[in-house]
Amino acid sequence: MKDAILRTVYWVSRIGLAGLFLYSGYVKLQSPLQFAADVMGYKLVPAGLVFPVAQYFPWVEIALGLLLLVGWRIRYWGVAASALILFFITLITITYARGIDANCGCFGTGEKISPFTIFRDSSFLVPALFLAFFKTKSDRITA
Amino acid sequence: MTGEPRGMREIWLSSTICAALLVAAAFGAANGGQWATTSDQCLGGRLDAPVRIEVFSDFQCPACRAFYVSTIRQVLKDYSTRDKVCVVYHEFPLAMHPYAREAARYSVAAQRLGRAQWAAVVDALYENQERWSLDGKIDAALLGAVSAEDFAKIKRMLGEASIEDAIARDIALGQQRQVKSTPTWFAMSSITKEQKVEGPMDYRVLKPWVDANIK
Repeated sequence: MKDAILRTVYWVSRIGLAGLFLYSGYVKLQSPLQFAADVMGYKLVPAGLVFPVAQYFPWVEIALGLLLLVGWRIRYWGVAASALILFFITLITITYARGIDANCGCFGTGEKISPFTIFRDSSFLVPALFLAFFKTKSDRITA
Repeated sequence: MTGEPRGMREIWLSSTICAALLVAAAFGAANGGQWATTSDQCLGGRLDAPVRIEVFSDFQCPACRAFYVSTIRQVLKDYSTRDKVCVVYHEFPLAMHPYAREAARYSVAAQRLGRAQWAAVVDALYENQERWSLDGKIDAALLGAVSAEDFAKIKRMLGEASIEDAIARDIALGQQRQVKSTPTWFAMSSITKEQKVEGPMDYRVLKPWVDANIK
């Protein structure tokens, strides 16, 4: 019973997180310029680097989403997803604390950084950490 | 795949799905050539330039001023003069700005006199925005931007219904294109698909995209 629950949580985490990264990357690819404007809004990246970051970063998200979906060495990608989400949380928390009125740029346009975005992104850590630290039967087979 | 371990079958199946998703994402990112056909006059550059930037803007909006002064003015100077970028301005006066619609009337009237007059009026309206935004004295802000003769013509046209119709058409176009704030702009080129951007953008950030799209 416990194993069945863990297996369900594993699949929900894996598919959910993969979908999240794939969607996030895809939305950014639709308008790298909008994402560049959002990155610029954080006032952390030098202007000369903003466009290259906006152009290539969505592919990192898509690659991570695909790797989570494939399931090969899932725990490594769980760690990578956790690190990336932690990086996002740090970034938006610092920006919010600095009082900068910036767009999150997380899933498309028009979403300002707020305590809600910090809370929401933090909640994504739960499935990522689960994939990173929990071993299921499936994990033992594929890893 | 019969006889393969369950884990391997799972990886094969997932990989196939991933390959399909990757192709879909790549196609979505590179699907180009979707020009929004408009008959608008370019503020700078030719309509058939390799890159077109269409801006929905409000003359009284500070972010629109920042975008024009720090970015569009530079684009006009560096690219439109070489016919590499066509910059189109659409009127999108917001109700919250009491003098924005009147300023838009001046702009549309100047547009009818010709590109040089239109560009001069747009430049003067943004340059002097802080001044006329306080009291609505747009005439004073435009002094010296165009000749006295052209200024008189603009003044005569201000009351024409067709000027108001042109503004209404621009607003309707913006609403149709889901414009909700200003500045909202669309960047298009012959090699990448149309991108919608809400808010201003630094020239140093826009420049690499323009350079990559005019080749």
